[in-house]
Amino acid sequence: MKLLFEWLHARTGYRGGVRVMLDEPLPPGTGWFFTLGSVLLALLSIQLLTGAFLTLYYAATPDHAYDSVRFIDALSAGRIVRGLHHYGASFIVVALVAHMLRVIAFGSYKPPREVTWLSGLALLALILGFSLTGYLLPWDQRAYWATVVTINISKLTPLGGEVVAGILRGGSTIGALTLTRWYGVHVIFFPAALVLLIVGHLFLMRRHGISGPVRSRTGPSFAFFPSQAARDVTMVSIVVVLLVAYAWHGAPPLEGPADPTDATYTPRPEWYFLGLFQLLKYFPGKWEVVAAMIVPGLAAAFLALLPWIDRGSDRALPKRRAILSVVAIGFISVAVLTTLGWRDTPSSAASHDSWTLREIGGRIYAQKLNCTKCHAETGLADALEGGPSTRGPEWIAGHIADPEMIAPGMREPPTTIHEREAAAVAAYARRAARDPYPGYPPNIELIAPVWARYCVGCHKIEGDGGTDGPDLTHEGTKHDAATLRRWIEDPEQVDPDADMPAFGDRLNEAQLDAIAQYLASRK
Amino acid sequence: MSHNAGSPIPTGRRRALVVFVNTIVALIGGALSAVLGAFALGPRGASQTRWSRAGTTADLKPDEPVARVLSVSRVDGWYRARARETVFLVWDGEKTIRAMSATCTHLGCQVRWEAKEKKFRCPCHGGVYAADGSVLEGPPPRPLQTIDARIESDSSVLVRL
Repeated sequence: MKLLFEWLHARTGYRGGVRVMLDEPLPPGTGWFFTLGSVLLALLSIQLLTGAFLTLYYAATPDHAYDSVRFIDALSAGRIVRGLHHYGASFIVVALVAHMLRVIAFGSYKPPREVTWLSGLALLALILGFSLTGYLLPWDQRAYWATVVTINISKLTPLGGEVVAGILRGGSTIGALTLTRWYGVHVIFFPAALVLLIVGHLFLMRRHGISGPVRSRTGPSFAFFPSQAARDVTMVSIVVVLLVAYAWHGAPPLEGPADPTDATYTPRPEWYFLGLFQLLKYFPGKWEVVAAMIVPGLAAAFLALLPWIDRGSDRALPKRRAILSVVAIGFISVAVLTTLGWRDTPSSAASHDSWTLREIGGRIYAQKLNCTKCHAETGLADALEGGPSTRGPEWIAGHIADPEMIAPGMREPPTTIHEREAAAVAAYARRAARDPYPGYPPNIELIAPVWARYCVGCHKIEGDGGTDGPDLTHEGTKHDAATLRRWIEDPEQVDPDADMPAFGDRLNEAQLDAIAQYLASRK
Repeated sequence: MSHNAGSPIPTGRRRALVVFVNTIVALIGGALSAVLGAFALGPRGASQTRWSRAGTTADLKPDEPVARVLSVSRVDGWYRARARETVFLVWDGEKTIRAMSATCTHLGCQVRWEAKEKKFRCPCHGGVYAADGSVLEGPPPRPLQTIDARIESDSSVLVRL
């Protein structure tokens, strides 16, 4: 072994390179504050590695992206690898901000290190770009709708807003072209830029040496290896243990597959964009551009110009009170906005846990239509509940209308089915693929098919349904059960000018009673 | 870079630090390699099989292999593909049915049933099998693969592929 290394050194001189790396001279007093760069380097390496391995299974097409991510989660170590990559992004943002605050507090951006500082800011922008592009890749509801918001924000860009949005989208709508584009940028363009920027950043760091403590101390400089290296690996191991704990404990989120027709979904950004998300709420309408572009732009410009705003070579904290106060106020504002955005959970996000009436109705129809004859645990086709079926709504609707077309020779001739029943079964199939049926009381199971067949076309409950008629989410606050029953039976009996058709001849007594009571109970 | 590594740290402490740094680096590197290695190996376990309908006994002749082309769903990672597979069904005229794969065990060509000779012949390298799938002549190393099959009460035939 030793001989092999001797030979390798004789041919390559690699030990010289290693020595150059390890013997970096550090000013006296360099301590724990200067370990954050190494932590970032370690986290970024983990991110590059896990990302590279994830590409072994990921497929960047709208048809398969979601399925492939689910497949990754089912693989051995799949959740861990995806978890490391998912939570690693958050860790990097935290470490990056900490590193930046350290640099600002120590005045390390002062001459001759202005370009090092600028390359660090470019790295910050790049990291945020990584997280934005990576967010879309799982192609779940969160990914899709967050990207809709991102692209709409990009339209606020002064002058060519539409052009910017078009470049981000790739095609005329968010879809296959957006996904391949963001994927390519996320796995090729950005990593290449990242490596170049890191090499540049480290080169500049070595060229000027690290800034060291604010008040330079006297004494000899010391080598990076092993004492500073020991501090670095201690910090790195603490952070890595935390990251592994996160990845182990919490499976990275994956919601239902992206559904561009689902208007009920309220997108939420990743936590480090929540501040911006919250800021947007304070600037409605035409003022939105202030929150989306001007405030972040000014902040970025301030940071970029910091070495020229904060002149003078003195790095001592008391001499830089004004600048440090501005930075502190900015940081506290971001923290407060992020907390407010965090706490401001939209109400519909909570109600998403329960199944919609349409989904429950779809389950009843699926049983009535004998879907479960084949779609069962031991059946000819995949079971409907708990299976990985992630087909789009059109595919499912087509399959329900004519199963023969999609699965030739596999089943009995199809029964005719009403378009709205098919839509309900499709909604059920998509829901059942990710959540087990929680079970609902008999009255709900009685009215759900009625609702899904007759009411949902015009009325909404909790965000699901049509808009021709009024929203019935809180109908119980307006009418009692008796009035509602008479109304549903024959609206003209209550109001001669009513637009709604009569349902008295289409529903039986039990159904009329149940739906009237249900609506009256909705307060 | 003429900086001297001979630092003011005492040798014993220096050695301890070197061991510490190398251990941590080896631990993190090793753990990461193990996780990523396991991940890269891919899915384990055989692919799932499922009962598929292959017509009814009314389509079959007693004791005569009949070829049936079935469309089976194959799970390939996250991808579901429909593959066409040929199986030979041999019905005894009553309650039992045998199913054999039409794939020659030599190099994977599709064998044909020669009704006059009552033999399966492979067109590629001259493999010959008897009606029960056993090898009669030629290079095939094993008999034709048998496949689970059963007859339902409504006389439909199911095979597991």
